[in-house]
Amino acid sequence: MSAGQWARDLAMGVRFAFTGGREGWVRATLTAVGVGLGVALLLLTSAIPTIQATRDDREDARDDIGLVFHEETTKTKPSDKTLVVANTDTDYDDKEVRGRLLDPDGPRAPVPPGLKKLPATGEMVVSPALADLLKSDDGKLLRERLPYRVAGTIAEPGLVGPAELSYYAGADGLAERINGSSVGRIEHFGSVTDQSGGEELDPVLLLLILVVLVVLLMPVAVFIATAVRFGGERRDRRLAALRLVGADGRMTRRIAAGEALAGSVLGLLFGAVFFLIGREIAGTVEVFGISVFPSYLNPSPALAALIAVVVPASAVLVTLFALRGVVIEPLGVVRTAKPPRRRLWWRLLLPLGGLALLYPMIGQGSENGNFNEYMVTGGVVLLLVGVTALLPWVVEAFVARMGSGSVSWQLAVRRLQLSSGTAARMVNGVAVAVAGAIALQMLFVGVEGEYTKATGKDTTRANLEINLPYDGQVTAVGEKLGRTKGVQDVMAVSTGYVGDKRSDPDLASTVTVGDCAALREMAKLPSCRDGDVFVAGNEDDQDSEKLAQRGRTVYFDPSYDSDPAKQIPWTVPGEVKKAQTRADSLRPSVWGLLVTPSALSDKVAPALEGAAYVRLDPSVPDASDRVRNTAAAIDPLATVYKWKSTEQASEYAAIRTGLFVGATCVLVLIGASLLVSQLEQLRERKKLLSALVAFGTRRRTLSLSVLWQTAIPIALGLLLASVVGLTLGVVLLKMTSVPVVVAWSSVLSMTGVGAGVVVVVTLFSLPPLLRLMRPDGLRTE
Amino acid sequence: MTPAGSLLVATDLHKAYGPTTALDGAEFSIHPGEVVAVMGPSGSGKSTLLHCLAGIVTPDSGSITYQGREMASMNDTERSALRRSEFGFVFQFGQLVPELTCVENVALPLRLNGTSRKEAERTALSWMERVEVDDLKGKRPGEVSGGQGQRVAVARSLVTNPRVLFADEPTGALDSLNGERVMELLTDAARSANAAVVLVTHEARVAAYSDREIVVRDGKSRDMERVV
Repeated sequence: MSAGQWARDLAMGVRFAFTGGREGWVRATLTAVGVGLGVALLLLTSAIPTIQATRDDREDARDDIGLVFHEETTKTKPSDKTLVVANTDTDYDDKEVRGRLLDPDGPRAPVPPGLKKLPATGEMVVSPALADLLKSDDGKLLRERLPYRVAGTIAEPGLVGPAELSYYAGADGLAERINGSSVGRIEHFGSVTDQSGGEELDPVLLLLILVVLVVLLMPVAVFIATAVRFGGERRDRRLAALRLVGADGRMTRRIAAGEALAGSVLGLLFGAVFFLIGREIAGTVEVFGISVFPSYLNPSPALAALIAVVVPASAVLVTLFALRGVVIEPLGVVRTAKPPRRRLWWRLLLPLGGLALLYPMIGQGSENGNFNEYMVTGGVVLLLVGVTALLPWVVEAFVARMGSGSVSWQLAVRRLQLSSGTAARMVNGVAVAVAGAIALQMLFVGVEGEYTKATGKDTTRANLEINLPYDGQVTAVGEKLGRTKGVQDVMAVSTGYVGDKRSDPDLASTVTVGDCAALREMAKLPSCRDGDVFVAGNEDDQDSEKLAQRGRTVYFDPSYDSDPAKQIPWTVPGEVKKAQTRADSLRPSVWGLLVTPSALSDKVAPALEGAAYVRLDPSVPDASDRVRNTAAAIDPLATVYKWKSTEQASEYAAIRTGLFVGATCVLVLIGASLLVSQLEQLRERKKLLSALVAFGTRRRTLSLSVLWQTAIPIALGLLLASVVGLTLGVVLLKMTSVPVVVAWSSVLSMTGVGAGVVVVVTLFSLPPLLRLMRPDGLRTE
Repeated sequence: MTPAGSLLVATDLHKAYGPTTALDGAEFSIHPGEVVAVMGPSGSGKSTLLHCLAGIVTPDSGSITYQGREMASMNDTERSALRRSEFGFVFQFGQLVPELTCVENVALPLRLNGTSRKEAERTALSWMERVEVDDLKGKRPGEVSGGQGQRVAVARSLVTNPRVLFADEPTGALDSLNGERVMELLTDAARSANAAVVLVTHEARVAAYSDREIVVRDGKSRDMERVV
């Protein structure tokens, strides 16, 4: 067979795809829409590396606080080219707000990306999203927290996403507060180290990423394969006509492939258009805290080229594969007769092959071993492809044993018995997505413990922790916080270090200052009244008791290696009582000297850092933001942490977020694909539906029959998906050496979501179904 | 022939599809057991007249009465029930449900009326015997010839013992030999059951099986009395 003949036949198919009049265009458009949706999602996926890289680049380009950790830059001397920058990040309504105070040392101080000039003292430049928030009623409390005049907007290069809340405010006097952590002096913005060449990803996380990608992309592939088979019945009649005028069997198959090729190429164009539209829409939405600028969504050229080649090639192959068992005769297509029974053996080979690929990696996760990426991807793909191969067999075997019931049931069952493949193809996407999601949920639940750490924070005792960079009269701070609406309780303490000498001390300990109620939250005290001093040693601490001697003079903030320090003397007054450390102390590992305020003089205040622990009234919804406002009013550099009982490793959380974002897109796509596919089938049966209605068939009977036709394969698909998903989940957990626990709630929720998609699609397809069932559909002229 | 004693009567029917007028004052009547051929060129409005008479399409104006009852006063459910129990249909391409076997197809109207499957299929088989296709009972429509399929469709149209049988070009897709056999079986069976037949056709050979002809042209009908 010459390539020329192939090309001629394919070209003829392409012509047929567009020359069938209105019907032809509708069919080609449906195929193109289907393929286009899939292509758009593939392009989006191929742009994900660019999104992450661009966000990282933007983040690196504006890096400032990271610089102050740099030993060299902390010693940067003030000049007309330096800038003092302070981190004032905050949270508002559970959203992160990036904040910086800027205090230039001279006229040539660096300007952050996205700004034309530095804001003057009392002014701020804000991101567009923050500007909108501040203007809205929802931003009322944030306006109180940021008492600066808005003088401009941060341009795109200064932001990682359009929904980012960010501001730069002008300030003075920051130089005195340089601390090498949240306040520092810099000569330029932008990371000096390469952040990208990081450490290797944990093998279990790599496994998660690979499985997430496969699980999200498989339904897309299944959907594209389904879309290129739209309009099969009409096409078959056309092919029969071609046989009549002399085309042989192979030619007709190639012509059919040409039609699918045309649909898929048009689908590529549609996909590009959908992607461009989606790109613009993406700039206006925020999903799970991530927003992207349209300019980020640039698919990598190599991946885009791959999609442009693979999609049309797959369309041709899928069509040739689909027609392999179909005999196209000059007087019709022999498909309406009962097709031969499907064979099970080769369908079983796929999942078994997948298991065989995954089996050698069982137990690798526990010893920091490496998973073979190709074997993992191949194994998971084969298992999930196994679902698509097994489902037609399962549906056929099941419906063959079904008896007749009501008319609607009989119509549905007989239809399924005659063409179970069409129904199975329709639900394949859902089944693959559910199987993958069940396995992933099991894996996530299984490894969650390894990536979720208990913080030790007791959220029943405190919800917010406020750290002040200096003492700032912590008692008064406590009182101010206590007067804030929504605050139930405040424990204010300050901490510092003491030594036996002004510099390079031999004995050293920590000091915690607070009233009796606050100190009792940190340690077990025998009795307490203002003016008391306590000592609470731990096993490794020999120094505290030696320092805590009545009348002994100790020095707050002693210097080490001639570093500048405050070296403030303090004489221990009165008797020192023994106290015991408390394992569940509000402030972690409190030991050493515990001092009530009257036992100290005000002189030591500069050597102390203040902290307050606040318990909120859960019935006041914005209590947290009110406390943050109070803290910002006390000192803009005060940091407020929200206590959580657990925290997750950032990569793990990012992968989980990625899965949620992807699963949302895939479910929308699957829903759309089911709907298009359902409408396609109904459209092809328009005349028959009209005839049935003409001789009096109730619409309810036909609607129910359509519902059964979808519900039966879906029920079987979800059952199969649960079995495959659980198997894959068990294998993945064994690979990571995590005890196998079946997350039944995940199984139920995933199958529930799958079933929900079908119900929604059925509901959406009812209005067109009712329209198609009008008896005037019989009219042909 | 006057409408007196008529089973189904239509007067001054008007129907347009957009700018195209399909019926423009058409008249029609039929008596029990009578076979009336509706003739006319393509696009003349024959099928639209049949669809209006059968309650499939609602005319824009005019009146259709069945056994003295105005069809316009019936809602969709009532008209559907009428079609299910009193009317039968044969279309040009049979319009059999491809996934059901032939006997299941014939039994379908009975099942829609609530007859049990066993009883419906027993009655269906007896009608298939009358139109000589009982040997096809287990086959699907895709496995039988066009003539055989059309005979199955005739059996399906008569299985409920309808008072009126509507046949829209029932032999249009068949060769002359098969067409004549189908017409013989259809008219014989209808006459023996005393069912009226509204036969839409453009073939004089097919119209010859009727008792009376009505010619539709440009949406208007003209009664042509047959002299036998």
